[in-house]
Amino acid sequence: MSNSIIAQLVKKDFLMTRNTIFIFCLITLASVAAIYMIFGHVPKVVFLNLGFTLLIAPAITCAIVLLMKTIVMEKQKSTQLFIMSLPLSIREFTTAKLLLNLPVFTIFWLGITAVAFYFSFGLGLFPYGSVPFITMIFLGIFVAYVVILSIAILYQSYGVTVITMLCAELGTPAYLWVIAYSEPINSHVYESHMVWNSPAIAIVATQILLIILVPLIAWHIQNKKRDFV
Amino acid sequence: MSVPDSLSMPLAIECEDITKHYPHFMLRDVKLSFEQGSVMGLVGPNGAGKSTILRIVMGLIKPDSGSIKVLGYSMPNEQIAAKRNIGFVAEDMRLYESETIEFHINFIKSIFNSWDDQYAKKLLHRFDLKKEQKIKGMSHGQRIKAILLLALARRPNLLVFDEPTTGLDPVVRKEVLNEMMNSLEDETHSILFSSHNTLDVEQISDYITFIYDGRIIESRNKEDFMDGWRRLRLTNMNNVSLPNLSNIKEIQQSGRLCTVTLNNYENSIPEHFTNAGLQINNIERLTLEEIFLGNVAHAKGAGKEAIV
Repeated sequence: MSNSIIAQLVKKDFLMTRNTIFIFCLITLASVAAIYMIFGHVPKVVFLNLGFTLLIAPAITCAIVLLMKTIVMEKQKSTQLFIMSLPLSIREFTTAKLLLNLPVFTIFWLGITAVAFYFSFGLGLFPYGSVPFITMIFLGIFVAYVVILSIAILYQSYGVTVITMLCAELGTPAYLWVIAYSEPINSHVYESHMVWNSPAIAIVATQILLIILVPLIAWHIQNKKRDFV
Repeated sequence: MSVPDSLSMPLAIECEDITKHYPHFMLRDVKLSFEQGSVMGLVGPNGAGKSTILRIVMGLIKPDSGSIKVLGYSMPNEQIAAKRNIGFVAEDMRLYESETIEFHINFIKSIFNSWDDQYAKKLLHRFDLKKEQKIKGMSHGQRIKAILLLALARRPNLLVFDEPTTGLDPVVRKEVLNEMMNSLEDETHSILFSSHNTLDVEQISDYITFIYDGRIIESRNKEDFMDGWRRLRLTNMNNVSLPNLSNIKEIQQSGRLCTVTLNNYENSIPEHFTNAGLQINNIERLTLEEIFLGNVAHAKGAGKEAIV
């Protein structure tokens, strides 16, 4: 019973946001095409900056628009009261929100990560020694997303979500600088083969753990809430 | 307080000693029950706690203490099962603005096997709504009617309405109230609704509960309410003291004319006044609004005394 209602909630949210998702898919494809076109025609540093921005901006924007529409606006526009009058509890509501937002972002993330790896290593932009570092960059983006998603679920507030986004925007580059200047990581970046030393494995494992744990913790806290409208 | 004393039908709702603390508001020891097949109207001013009670009944707010059973289900723990049989409409409830009525109908239909397509069509026609209409362009009245349609066409056993007629013009208000009454097609269907409009409550309720400042101040059968309250217009020629009766709720004196409002009225009461030397000019029944205001005035007085 509750499984079927979760499916109906996910379907409802998907139907309401499919145009947005579709438009951002097109923008992402256009960005990839643009990256492909400028590859080799602009200096490497320009390509890296422009390419990175073109690649991640549509995916991140789509994810944020989606969570704003399906989670934050639900409360802000009082549609949550309508949804919560249906045979479901906070548990089903939260599960449905995670089951729409997380897979959509994951698909975008897998796509842009694959493109980034293709340009970086398939087309020889970076040596294989950079694989751990590039992996950390893209896992870092995922960690920032799950933090924003979890905060949006817990607070359903524009203000709090925007502040979290701002913190993530500032925190992610800071984190990247830290790992970029971390000797065990940067000392192998220009090597021709991958070096998965223990600090690199620890960082990636922590990131993967955070990606799994942060939404689970948010889900658990949400289920403990006493009042939900 | 709860109604009624002797019950033949199972209870639609049974709340026992519910309390809920907020920083600036507190719901205190709410006892509320009524049997299936009847209509309970919850009357109170803005901020009295009506919406909080209804949201607790719906399992959306967990009380600090007390127990709630809705259609035999314990809330909020069994809210999923209970809400299969409840239709909830609230004045501040909104539908998805970018979507049509049809989108909402299909969504609700996918959740409730009990969805009645024929009834939904009838309601669309009666409410003068078009299923292709987007919610965004609708008036408040149309939106409430759309929400009502979505709640009624799933054929629930219990309807919970939170201020359903607030902000509606008289025509739409009548339509909404009529449809609420039509939904009571057999004796197992029940309605719990809140309003600060006593006319609506008087019109359709079997039981009435007055709530003020987070407390239930009176809860009774409507007939008992209407029969229990009287206003005596008296002339006090010799300036004598009024008889000391516990059921006197309000006294207004203007020169020799005196107006006394009484609860739990009995036919022997006028005799107490005539024996005391007062002349009775008139005995009037009170409207529900006057009864409510009398209750609130009494509750305010009691509250002040308690503080002193």
